[in-house]
Amino acid sequence: MVRFENVGMRYGMGPEVLRDISFHLSPGSFHFLTGPTGAGKSSLLKLLALSHRPSRGLVTLFNKEVSTLVRDDLPAMRRKIGVVYQEFRLLDHLSAMDNVALPLKIAGAKDARIYQHVAELLEWVGLGNQIDAKPPTLSGGEKQRVAIARAVINRPQLLIADEPTGSMDAEMGLRLMHLFQELNKIGTTVVVATHDLDMIQRFGNPVMFLKDGLLTTRGPEKLPRHFSENGA
Amino acid sequence: MISLFGKSAELQLEKDVSTRYLPVVIAAMIFLAALAIGGLFSLHNAIGNWSETLTGNLTVEIAYDPAADLDKKVAEAVKLLSETPGVTSARAIGKEETHALLAPFLGKNAALDELPVPRLIEVIIEEGNAVDLRALNEKLAGAVPGASLDIHRPWLNKMVTLGHSVQLLAAAIMLLIGVVTVIIVIFAVRTGLVMHAEVIQVLHLIGAHDKYIAEQFQNYFSRLSFLGALPGLVVAVIVMFIFNFLVGSLESSMLPPLTLEPAGIVALLLLPFLIALLTRFTVRLVVMRSLARMM
Repeated sequence: MVRFENVGMRYGMGPEVLRDISFHLSPGSFHFLTGPTGAGKSSLLKLLALSHRPSRGLVTLFNKEVSTLVRDDLPAMRRKIGVVYQEFRLLDHLSAMDNVALPLKIAGAKDARIYQHVAELLEWVGLGNQIDAKPPTLSGGEKQRVAIARAVINRPQLLIADEPTGSMDAEMGLRLMHLFQELNKIGTTVVVATHDLDMIQRFGNPVMFLKDGLLTTRGPEKLPRHFSENGA
Repeated sequence: MISLFGKSAELQLEKDVSTRYLPVVIAAMIFLAALAIGGLFSLHNAIGNWSETLTGNLTVEIAYDPAADLDKKVAEAVKLLSETPGVTSARAIGKEETHALLAPFLGKNAALDELPVPRLIEVIIEEGNAVDLRALNEKLAGAVPGASLDIHRPWLNKMVTLGHSVQLLAAAIMLLIGVVTVIIVIFAVRTGLVMHAEVIQVLHLIGAHDKYIAEQFQNYFSRLSFLGALPGLVVAVIVMFIFNFLVGSLESSMLPPLTLEPAGIVALLLLPFLIALLTRFTVRLVVMRSLARMM
């Protein structure tokens, strides 16, 4: 499903923010990605979401090596990946329904099919009564659920979430994590980046721990109790 | 047409302040382009008319001489010319007609009778017949003292050269207008790309092809260009009517009126569509190249 081999990444001529990253995610797995602030979590997610290319090493997604992809191949690959951003990245002028429908519309699906699926999905994430609401009128938790619905409407094989519970209370965060679990149960590979060590402990899934651009995989029990203010 | 001028659903380019004045600029460009087209076609017609009128048309001038019998000289010259092979007709131009020809330059109230005006004979040469004009001129000067042949050709050549030069200038102005329009559109599109970079990134990440994003820019900017072109064209047509009215009201105008004929009218009507197409092509090129630099 996902394979990184000695991957490095830098922005422009700057220093490497990721160094010698190697890991493998099997289909249907559920991983947390954590580490102190500035460790490179967002950069790693950018590589997974095909929003950046690695500076070196091999990234293989869905059995295709990313560096060999031509530009026209990228949209089809990205439709297999759902991304949930901490800051939601919804289009404020579109309703919840239109935001969620966007990936299907872009993929060229027929209108009737789009809106039937979208309505069902919004019902599933608990926003059945908010389909016409625009993002500025929604709470943080509601926006995040719209973002999740948009990320999964194409039934992606890989779901990436960057601090999905960062902008909501613990109870809402827990409910969102249960949504991810449900998606994982139907075969979606899930990677959730989070600072929330308590949540990682609670769910018990494997953890990819990033520090100073280096990645290690460990069980939740081997994580530090907390991250210090200076990112150590 | 709907897809050509459809709205940019996701990018909301309609709300950009930076492109709000683009239609005004396009209107100004189309106004200038329409006037250039008007000039181009009018000159083309004028040159055609001059050539048509003066080809095969000669004038014999008999110099003013207060001591000579000018009417006799005119009659002798007409007789000689009429007997010359290849001459279709030779017609003496009367005093009143000569005065009417001079009126646009000297005014209707000028004391033309008191001026030393030469006598004129209009000569039509048979089409396709090569008359030796130099020999005819010599023969005429020998038979009728003071008579000379004016073949108009040097004057016509100068006028045609001037006309073609002005036509080239008008074409160069058209080209310049096109280039300036393209540059303005490029700047506006680049501004739009920067302003909407975040939404563009989201669209890319949820699987949008570059052409899906480019189409939103193309449709929006084509619409702006088309809608800007219409008032520019209307104002230019009004200005042409005013110009023609002013030219018509002048007594001694050498200026040809702006006459377009069907080809010119079609060219004017095509302007808004051409500018929309030029904009569409430019926008597509700029957006596709810019997006290609993104991951």
